[in-house]
Amino acid sequence: MIWEVFRQEAPGDYHEHVGNVHAPDREMAKLFARIQHARRMQTNSLWVTPREEIGEVSAEDAAFDGRTDKSYRWAMTYNEIDASFAEEVADSESEQREAARKRREALRDEGNEA
Amino acid sequence: MDLETVRKRAGPREFGPADDMPERYRTAATRMIQFHANSEVMGGYLDKTFTRKAPSLDRKLANTAKVQDEIGHAQLLYRAAETLGVKTRAEMLEELANGDGKFLNCFHYPVDSWYEAPMIDFFVDGGAMRRQATLKSTSWTPYAHAMDKICFEEGFHVKHGESILRELMNGSKATQERTQETFDEWWPRILQFFGPTNDESVHDDFGRAVGLKTVTNDELRNSFLNMYIPKAEKHGLEIPEYPRIYERDDGTMAVREDDLDWDEFRTISRNEYEGSHEQIGSRRRRQEAVDWVRKSLDSWESSAGTTPRAAD
Ligand SMILES: [Fe+2]
Ligand SMILES: [Fe+2]
Repeated sequence: MIWEVFRQEAPGDYHEHVGNVHAPDREMAKLFARIQHARRMQTNSLWVTPREEIGEVSAEDAAFDGRTDKSYRWAMTYNEIDASFAEEVADSESEQREAARKRREALRDEGNEA
Repeated sequence: MDLETVRKRAGPREFGPADDMPERYRTAATRMIQFHANSEVMGGYLDKTFTRKAPSLDRKLANTAKVQDEIGHAQLLYRAAETLGVKTRAEMLEELANGDGKFLNCFHYPVDSWYEAPMIDFFVDGGAMRRQATLKSTSWTPYAHAMDKICFEEGFHVKHGESILRELMNGSKATQERTQETFDEWWPRILQFFGPTNDESVHDDFGRAVGLKTVTNDELRNSFLNMYIPKAEKHGLEIPEYPRIYERDDGTMAVREDDLDWDEFRTISRNEYEGSHEQIGSRRRRQEAVDWVRKSLDSWESSAGTTPRAAD
């Protein structure tokens, strides 16, 4: 069976998906994951999980959540307000701006394909 | 891991579920995260009152989005707390319902007017965000990860809150006066948000020694005053004469303790204030009202189970 592998580089990091391995059981999956994904790469921890146990939301389903105009829930909408007075508010706004930009690009690409 | 090692290794995102943490660390972290999670729930419930009070559709929509965020924050935090293995989410929600769960002082005051929206959404969320930004470097990794997502969202709350304040302070003379009156009422509570000055309580010392907290309440209060007083003034609010705020010799700002009502604060922290009963009770009744949803999900889970494919 196929096991998906998630690697955490350093303590405190997120476990990120790095690939998958064939293995008959969990112990073997851990062994193969180590060989494939932790032999050279700095690794603090590895997770393996059977592929069948993963539930996926498709790109199409995920994109649906951004179709209607929900500008009211973005920090950038309130542009009469200057966020620079507090670092954390300014950071949040720039993270949101970046997320919104990616979202817009994805929608535009899709429009070009159609 | 023994406490000595924990103290030595303590740093941002240093520990996680794979580490064998001592009881005292797990208890302290659970207390802190549970308090935080409870506050998100109670803040969300308080805030939802504003959806009905909001003067325009845009404000109503923004408010519902904010409430949804806050309840989401609570869910993230209950999960982070559960990773410590001390209490389950169900236990924590039960404690919140029966009056044992503790939460932020500002959410013990029922609200009933739109003028109160910026007091919560700008000043309280602003203060909370100050604290939350520092918790990105807490030593319990699942807590820090929850902060990544929470801080990402919070900027909208604070900016929207300030936008409401700005709108009200650009309104009619009467509106401005009502806003000022409401501010006068809320300002002492907002100052108490950071606890008593020099309150280096036992929990606090331990929390910092093991990296759960990285800054003191005193430092947070100081930076909050430095940032938010100019903002309040910019929008035309007058800072009330009492409680007196003064500059210390080292240039930091502090509040005259005697000008604040600490009896009320302590009553609140025991959940014994009039408003505490009202807020806790109204949330408990809603929890009971949707008990059938929880029950049906539970029975579904036990009948479906997870697919037992990973037999090994
Ligand atoms: Fe929140
Ligand atoms: Fe918030």
